[in-house]
Amino acid sequence: MTAPLLDGQTSTVVTALSALAIGIAFGWTLERAGLGNARKLVGQFHLTDLTVFKVMFSALVTALLGVFWLGRLGWLDVGRLYLPETFLVPQLTGGLIFGVGFALSGLCPGTSCVAAASGRLDGLAAVAGIMAGVWTIGWFIQPLSRFYESTSRGAVTLPDVTGIPSGVIVLAVVSLALAGFRVAEWIEARRT
Amino acid sequence: MDRSTPHLNARSTLAVVAASLALLAALAGEPRPTTVDVGALARQIATEADHVDATTVARWIKSRRSDLRIIDVREQSEYDEYHIPTAEHLPLERLTALARSSDTTVLYSGGGAHGAQAWVLLRALGHAKVAVLSGGIDEWTTEVLHPIVPPDAAGPQAAEAVDLAVYFGGTPRVQPRAIDETGSRSDRARAVPPRRRGC
Repeated sequence: MTAPLLDGQTSTVVTALSALAIGIAFGWTLERAGLGNARKLVGQFHLTDLTVFKVMFSALVTALLGVFWLGRLGWLDVGRLYLPETFLVPQLTGGLIFGVGFALSGLCPGTSCVAAASGRLDGLAAVAGIMAGVWTIGWFIQPLSRFYESTSRGAVTLPDVTGIPSGVIVLAVVSLALAGFRVAEWIEARRT
Repeated sequence: MDRSTPHLNARSTLAVVAASLALLAALAGEPRPTTVDVGALARQIATEADHVDATTVARWIKSRRSDLRIIDVREQSEYDEYHIPTAEHLPLERLTALARSSDTTVLYSGGGAHGAQAWVLLRALGHAKVAVLSGGIDEWTTEVLHPIVPPDAAGPQAAEAVDLAVYFGGTPRVQPRAIDETGSRSDRARAVPPRRRGC
């Protein structure tokens, strides 16, 4: 388990409790934003309610600025951040399956947990489906391993691939987000 | 008072704060890791994922690969005497000055020890695409400049070895031909293999 903001000697119990606290805060925030409601999420695909885009992109910008500045000031050891590997084709395929599931169920994995915790039956069904899918793919992971591990690009970041400094990437993404929020507000205003 | 105003002010304030922090980030320089993922480095070393052989490097140089950067970490005098074509000189003590980039960086030294140490240093500094010519300039000399090829240089591998040797100004070494029935043997001259030295 990685907990880069905590001391490397922190016990597993404390690390797990920290993760639990963060998870509770995250779930509460999602529920308060209304993202436990499938109708609100599906509005994203119909461009009538872009709350999902605004909430998720706000979270991305917060994390991006937080990680950059905490790392730059030496309060966060960026070397301890977990960087998942890029497997181009498998991840594109997984993204496609994820997108279809999201559109069909109206919920993504995180919001399905929020919906289930709120007592919504569709949330419970989505969580059960996700668990069943994960369990099923486990049976086929060996024959699929060649595909699963294909087109590896290593654990790379945008600065690694483009040669553009991290700070400039941060500026570009934040600018894109702020512009995106403006456009989202305009789209929603036109639809209502 | 307009009820939407406080909400709008909060959003505008947050947007201004985010934009300001992002603008400063573009000028602030890079966050650097303060600890090294020793396990990850050890795994790469164990699987030899950090290595690249001299023939591959020669192919990259010959194909004029634009994202290739070759760094010679030996002493200046050794670099001046001979270095791999297109290599830049950057001794170990100045290695921290190397900027991170998306280029593939190949490090080499005389034999391989300093090159391998340089690899660990650059990976610890967060450089991603770094490889080491494990046998150093010695491997370059024996595998690229003076490769051993069969007498008739038959086969694509031998042909490529001769081609690379000639391209980089070397001389292939001909594998001794077995004595035939007439008792004769090829009189073709052979280059003398260089003496291995360096660290």
